[in-house]
Amino acid sequence: MSETVVQQPSFFQVKKGLFSWIFTLDHKRIGILYLYSIGFFFLVAAGLGILMRLELLNPGRDFIEAQTYNQVFTLHGVIMIFLFIIPSVPAVFGNFFLPIMLGTDDVAFPRLNLFSWWLYILGALFALSTLVFGDGPADTGWTFYAPYSVKTGTNVTTSVLAAFILGFSSILTGLNFIVTIHRLRTPGMGFNQMPLFAWALYATSWIQLLATPVIGITLLMIVAERVFGIGLFDPSIGGDPILYQHLFWIYSHPAVYIMALPAMGIVSEIIPTFAQRTIFGYKAIAYSSMAIAFVGYFVWGHHMFTSGMSGPAAIVFSIMTFFVAIPTAVKVFNWVATLYKGSIDIQVPLLFALAFIFNFLIGGLTGLVLGALAADVHVHDTYFVVGHFHYVMFGGAGFAFFGALHYWFPKMWGRMYNKKVANTAFALLFIGFNTTYFPMLILGLKGMPRRYYDYLPEFHDLNMLSTFGSWILVTGIIVMVINLFAGGIKGKKASANPWNGITLEWQTASPPPLHNFDKMPELPAGGPYNYPNAKNASH
Amino acid sequence: MNGKEKITENTSTHEHISSYAEHFGTWVALILLTLMTVFISTFGADLRTLTVATALLIATVKALAVALYFMHLKYDAKIYRAWMIIVMALFVFFLFMVTLDYITR
Ligand code: HEM
Ligand SMILES: [Cu+2]
Repeated sequence: MSETVVQQPSFFQVKKGLFSWIFTLDHKRIGILYLYSIGFFFLVAAGLGILMRLELLNPGRDFIEAQTYNQVFTLHGVIMIFLFIIPSVPAVFGNFFLPIMLGTDDVAFPRLNLFSWWLYILGALFALSTLVFGDGPADTGWTFYAPYSVKTGTNVTTSVLAAFILGFSSILTGLNFIVTIHRLRTPGMGFNQMPLFAWALYATSWIQLLATPVIGITLLMIVAERVFGIGLFDPSIGGDPILYQHLFWIYSHPAVYIMALPAMGIVSEIIPTFAQRTIFGYKAIAYSSMAIAFVGYFVWGHHMFTSGMSGPAAIVFSIMTFFVAIPTAVKVFNWVATLYKGSIDIQVPLLFALAFIFNFLIGGLTGLVLGALAADVHVHDTYFVVGHFHYVMFGGAGFAFFGALHYWFPKMWGRMYNKKVANTAFALLFIGFNTTYFPMLILGLKGMPRRYYDYLPEFHDLNMLSTFGSWILVTGIIVMVINLFAGGIKGKKASANPWNGITLEWQTASPPPLHNFDKMPELPAGGPYNYPNAKNASH
Repeated sequence: MNGKEKITENTSTHEHISSYAEHFGTWVALILLTLMTVFISTFGADLRTLTVATALLIATVKALAVALYFMHLKYDAKIYRAWMIIVMALFVFFLFMVTLDYITR
């Protein structure tokens, strides 16, 4: 299994210096560039989240003005969505591991890859520049709903352009992965011998490629309306505000699968490794990724039930929404079935994967409540929604990101973090997360609206609980980050294959050499997860 | 790094090199169709409401010509044609649902 014969220097050692990083064409270095930039923005936006929870500790104004609060949740949302969770898994782990898992030496277009990182940085600068110029960051919410976004004096144009540029970065990543998967698989690896992470990225890339241009155009329309007063969305000059919502969600609903699918791909890697067992239902998992990506295009209207959209349209969208639950449930079933009778080794990455299933289940099921037309009329724009999407994006996709970090850490840095501390961090994150967000679901059902800096006294208890939870959560984040840095600098040396995995990345050195493999990797016989010595291996 | 050299066909098609004649023919066809559009709208071929439909039809034919010949869809693996059709169908669905909302509001 483990080939520790390192003849070549690792990709870290081949070149040194700042320029060797920021102008690198190596997909592994680009992945790490993304990791640091994305990690940085996650911490910034998490800070803003903690700040909001602090303000909401007590009813009434504590230390943030109403207007400032509006700008804080907008900036929090914009950063978390466009700078953290959308790029997160594909840009970091997709870049680093897709070529390795396919047994090739880089993505199809390395220069385009570097360019997409630079676009990411440019978009980030645009987003941050709203802090310093004019009337400050946008106060529209991350959705930039018209006509308010056309009228407010805050820096909407710059924020929208930031999202536009980040969209291009996302498209280029998607394009690169599609071509890589079609053309660069190692000889002998058909589509059905690909690791499930590659399948998940493939489905995701198609969403990035096809849906992102829609938001691009829509955001430019906002700019055009602000600058030239064209009258596309603002009813007072002949526009249709509901049209904006259609265009926005035609992208932004599929976009939630840009966040969720790669996360599911990670879970599909982690679970067989730590169960030492063939994945149950390989094809069902692979094709359900495609199915989710596809069905995801047909449901955007569930965000608009109370917006004045027509009844017949709302009914159609509500029915369609229920269909997305099916392929998702297929995956959950297959993961659980994989664990059944496996030789389970409970390590930190597996804990994160299990937490993903738990949190994502709550996120998904509350999503069905929101997708049900009649129920949504009551809980639309309440804290129920805030609870729901944090369960999906943070408890789901975010936790999978952390899981991937712990799973592939020894491969990326050739060192191991302190596992005890990692377990503690996980416990803090899991408890903190649920203490912060579960109360929000109840608050929403009781009628507390979202996007206010203030609330009625009867909501006090649960808000206090939620804020306490956010302190546990942030402690978990801090412990995790410090532990990973410490592990990267002075952790124990990791072997080439510390978890006994069998996908191709475990056949090369940790960290890998510049061209990924010193000798051609060998495809495991009988599929990517066929553990030779496992009990029940022949399912 | 040198990904380009490794771009081999993993999807079992053989390379097709279009002849100059074919490219040139496509180009001529596109020009003729453009002239037709202009003619219909300005020189008063009086088709009334059919004018829009005709213009759209011509545009569709042109788009097809570009996709099939200039973009090589005609000679590439079937999967790419399938993707193209899926994408167009999605787009039609977007328009359909937005229109459905609009006319039943
Ligand atoms: C430290 C962790 C976090 C805390 C304490 C936190 C807290 C909050 C709070 C209190 C709100 C509601 C503001 C309101 O409606 O009045 C909010 C909104 C939001 N959060 Fe978080 N959050 C955290 C992490 C995340 C993550 C990881 C994501 C996404 C990956 C995320 C995405 C969003 C989005 C999209 C909004 C909606 C913004 C809007 O209404 O326009 N948050 N967050
Ligand atoms: Cu949605």
